[in-house]
Amino acid sequence: MTMSRQGVQPTEVIDRAAKLRFRWNGKRFSGFEGDTIASALAASGEQIFSRSMKYHRPRGILTADYWDPNLMVQVGDDPNVRAGHRLLESGMDVRSQNAWPSLNRDIKAVNGLLGRFLTAGFYYKTFMRPQWLWPTYERVLATFAPGGKIDLDTPHAYHDKRYTHPDVVVAGAGPAGIEAALAASSAGASVMLVSHEHSVGGHLRYSSAAADQAALAELRTALDASDVEVLTDSTVTGRYEDNWLGIVQRNHPVAVERLIKARAKTLVAAPGLIERPYVFEGNDRPGVITSGAARRLVNLWGVKPGERAVVFSANAEGDAAVADLERVGTEIAAVIDGRTGGSISSTRGSSRAVDAVVADGASIGADLLVVAAGWTAPTSLLNMAGDRPVYDPAAARFFPSDPPSNVLATGGLAGDADLDGLRQHGAATGRLAASRAAAVRHRLQARTARALPVDGDEPAWAPDERAPLGRDPHPELYRADTHGMVDMSEDISSKDLVAAAHEGYDSVELAKRYTTATMGPSQGKLETVNTVAAIAEARGETISEVGTTVWRPPYAPVTLGALAGRMFEPVRVSSIHPWHEANNVSVIQAGQWLRPDHYGDPAAEVRNVRRNVGLIDVTPLGKLDLRGPDVPKLLSLLYVNKWMKLGVGRVRYGMMCAEDGVVLDDGVTGRLGEDHYMMSTTSSGAGGVWEWVENWLQTERPDWQVHVTPVTTAYASINVAGPKSRELMSRVCAGVDLDAEAFPYMTVRQATVAGVAGCFMWRIGFTGELSFELHAPAGHGLRVWEALMDSGSDLGVAPFGLEAQRIMRLEKGHFIVGQDTDGLTLGPSTGTGSLIKLDKDDFAGKPELAWAADRSLPLVVAIQPDDPDVVPEEAAQIVRGDTNEILGRITSSRYSPTLNRSICLGQVEPDLAAGGTKVTVLLESGERIGATVIDHHAHFDPAGERLRG
Amino acid sequence: MADAPAFESPVVRSYPASRAGDLTLSDESAVTKWLVRAGAEGPTADLLDARFGTSRLTPGDALVLGSRPGEWIVVGAASEVAAAVAGLDRLEEQEFCSALDWTHGRAMFRVTGASAPRMLEKVCGIDWSDHMTPDGAVVSAPVALVTCDIARNDRDRVRSYLIFCDRSFGQYLFGALIDAGNEFGLSVAAASAS
Repeated sequence: MTMSRQGVQPTEVIDRAAKLRFRWNGKRFSGFEGDTIASALAASGEQIFSRSMKYHRPRGILTADYWDPNLMVQVGDDPNVRAGHRLLESGMDVRSQNAWPSLNRDIKAVNGLLGRFLTAGFYYKTFMRPQWLWPTYERVLATFAPGGKIDLDTPHAYHDKRYTHPDVVVAGAGPAGIEAALAASSAGASVMLVSHEHSVGGHLRYSSAAADQAALAELRTALDASDVEVLTDSTVTGRYEDNWLGIVQRNHPVAVERLIKARAKTLVAAPGLIERPYVFEGNDRPGVITSGAARRLVNLWGVKPGERAVVFSANAEGDAAVADLERVGTEIAAVIDGRTGGSISSTRGSSRAVDAVVADGASIGADLLVVAAGWTAPTSLLNMAGDRPVYDPAAARFFPSDPPSNVLATGGLAGDADLDGLRQHGAATGRLAASRAAAVRHRLQARTARALPVDGDEPAWAPDERAPLGRDPHPELYRADTHGMVDMSEDISSKDLVAAAHEGYDSVELAKRYTTATMGPSQGKLETVNTVAAIAEARGETISEVGTTVWRPPYAPVTLGALAGRMFEPVRVSSIHPWHEANNVSVIQAGQWLRPDHYGDPAAEVRNVRRNVGLIDVTPLGKLDLRGPDVPKLLSLLYVNKWMKLGVGRVRYGMMCAEDGVVLDDGVTGRLGEDHYMMSTTSSGAGGVWEWVENWLQTERPDWQVHVTPVTTAYASINVAGPKSRELMSRVCAGVDLDAEAFPYMTVRQATVAGVAGCFMWRIGFTGELSFELHAPAGHGLRVWEALMDSGSDLGVAPFGLEAQRIMRLEKGHFIVGQDTDGLTLGPSTGTGSLIKLDKDDFAGKPELAWAADRSLPLVVAIQPDDPDVVPEEAAQIVRGDTNEILGRITSSRYSPTLNRSICLGQVEPDLAAGGTKVTVLLESGERIGATVIDHHAHFDPAGERLRG
Repeated sequence: MADAPAFESPVVRSYPASRAGDLTLSDESAVTKWLVRAGAEGPTADLLDARFGTSRLTPGDALVLGSRPGEWIVVGAASEVAAAVAGLDRLEEQEFCSALDWTHGRAMFRVTGASAPRMLEKVCGIDWSDHMTPDGAVVSAPVALVTCDIARNDRDRVRSYLIFCDRSFGQYLFGALIDAGNEFGLSVAAASAS
């Protein structure tokens, strides 16, 4: 096989004025703009492009297109690039895969000598025993893994995503597909035409017939003048329920790949036909190519595939290849006609010789063997729509049977005709698709509140009155009288398949999985029918009787990058966040929130709050605005305690339990006005509690007059904490008396703060200090924060973060739902059992809580390690003595800068909950330490004197 | 009494001002926004006169969005919004309704330009065609994974969309919209009167 660039061809797609230089296995090569990597290498005389997966057999061009299994290469750090499809770019560093030390001399080719032992199932049979050796086997086998190399440091490329709702998607841009798109567009439909290739036209692109080229020019002109959206180098990878289509658009100007999620009203499947290889001994030798490959090389890229060719032709495509080859000077040594019983048995020769051995044993010297043995109908999209294509032995391929009525087939997939016939069928299909899409559109508009109103009834579903395409007879040519490769991606031969069938894997689905035939990068496009034929032969049955595997998505392999698309990772920030960023904050991500964890020294932040005054941004605290006369009833339903008599200006703590009595959330709710309340929730529970409240209102109590609005980020929330907090607040507040008697603990007041009206604040304190939780309209939050910082400089005001807050709340013994409780913690376990008012009317969780009231439950307690310098890990187990009997666990632990010792909260069995009880904590290191349960949850200020200040 | 303090937008980063395309994005978060709740049918619905999924401009140029059944967002200059919801007090005796100032809770952005639908297709799964989302349509949907209310509100016969989201997502969403609009030459415009 000696390939070379020839003179200018009228149909070529290369720009000979634009020379591109690139490297192939380190050597310098050149090609032209419009070349694929493979065509450029072929034009330079390269013959071997890869080594096969298992036997490391040398492999050359087979189909010279996207599906070519032999043209997988590495381009830079991009592995498994399809050289038959990827366009050449200047400076590309192209390398072969799966060969060492070099492509021409691959040491693993010795596997070929062991071929008889490496049959299907070799791995299953050989490496399953002894089982304990599998990890070793796995490591060794991994070194034999085929494919390119992944560089984990490769920068993330920009992958994009798009959603679209075209009336009609046409998958395939051959003449029938283009006509379908044009006709649908003319009928008023919005149309997306998807071409797998770099340009539209299908097989017309590489036809040298003048009529074909004229038709192609006409179609392209019409397309340019139409409203059809044309996507080239793109693939409809899957069809899902209700014509939800995945489309991968490659090499978009702004993205490496774009995954388009299209909801098409009708889908036209027009993928054309894929030429299938013929199975015979030596059919994977470099120099054996399909007729389509020969025609593409000659007509698209001006490459002469060989000097002397044998052509095995069973159809017009093979005959056309003969003419094309002759035109570029290839000597035709022989044409073996498959239609009249001619066949190829094997190939012989070495290096650049591909001598064809015909049925009678005669050998014909050549360097090129062109095979035109028939077609595979890529019915994948129809399969995905639920169709089960049927095999027609007279035409030697599968045809659609009964796809859903919003999926229409045209072109070679649907049948055969001359070019005019295919175009007419395509146009009729487009009109039908547009008509049915209009009916779907009418239905959608009528059902969608925001849509334009529609008049009249939904249009009738148009009947399919297309004249069916014919079926050209074709000989059933799958395998010669010798065995050869069926799946060149996976190195599976017809002999392997026959052996698998004889071993009992005679169902095509089983054989596929046992041998891995059709599971390679070609996804069965070249292999499926030959696989079925081999199994049918082994079973002594027909292809129809054996049936096929079901083609599932994706139609073509999809990169993980395309599937991932753009990485949307929403984050939330408070209006004070810019200040934090400007002041050395260490940020922690809590859910979607970016929150200040600390500003350098959490312990110092704690000490400052205890001595002076500190500010923490607590904007993420959930806030629900509740309005209406039935709010008290709602609160009584949701919380375990009583709410019917909460006065205006008062605040009350409440705990919510789910219907199983498990603690759901907690927080305070204040009454701002007669029918106006503000509920706070935990930060992490904000969304869940809102849904919980709405669920009760909408499904159980729709008659109650309550409106709930989440206003979490409508307010910037600032906790001003510390013994000097009142003094600081007095400097910025107007319209409110801050005196302890006028504004006592657990009350709420509305005020103007730093000139900002509409603020409210409540006297509560998670830190255990005198504190004011201030809520300012978010659009002025930063102003209020800065005013507080400016006004309190002489008071020692400083910000503090979540870590300091966690320490202080632990010092104070406040539990955190979700940390000190879990999915099994019933309300009474929190140690706040007195809060649960079982004498109330029904409330969420009441039956379970009533049951729990008489039970001994684990309890949340405060624990202090005997060694004050040891801080047990959170989740460290509390065990019985030296045993591993679990009696509880540490739920929170920190070193207290206030008390200069370690402090904890934990859950323990009830008999360990009394103050003074000694417990054993098992540390992660295995060490056991002693600890003591203390009387109160609060390690600090148990009487709450500072809090009430 | 000092002037009311300036509104601080959730969008605090600066972006290049001008690009080549016709597409603009502006931060309109400071515009007054009210949320009104009442029965889906009744005197409040009659007063606001924007059924679910649609919007209308009041004579005073406030935009009333029927964002959900029984829920409306009223947007515009403070005085115009106040005028639009002024009659609600009188309706309280007829049905339970509520109204609250949502200005600080919601970020609001405007995307304008012929390619706005193509840009939105990159971040949102809604059908933006004229027949499914005509001028005046209102829809709730995730935009770049953030739940938003979106109103089509064309300007001078040019496609334009108002996008509302929780304020805390404002900075993120603004950046995501700029990223989506880059291929269309999006530029950041000054806030309009909306």
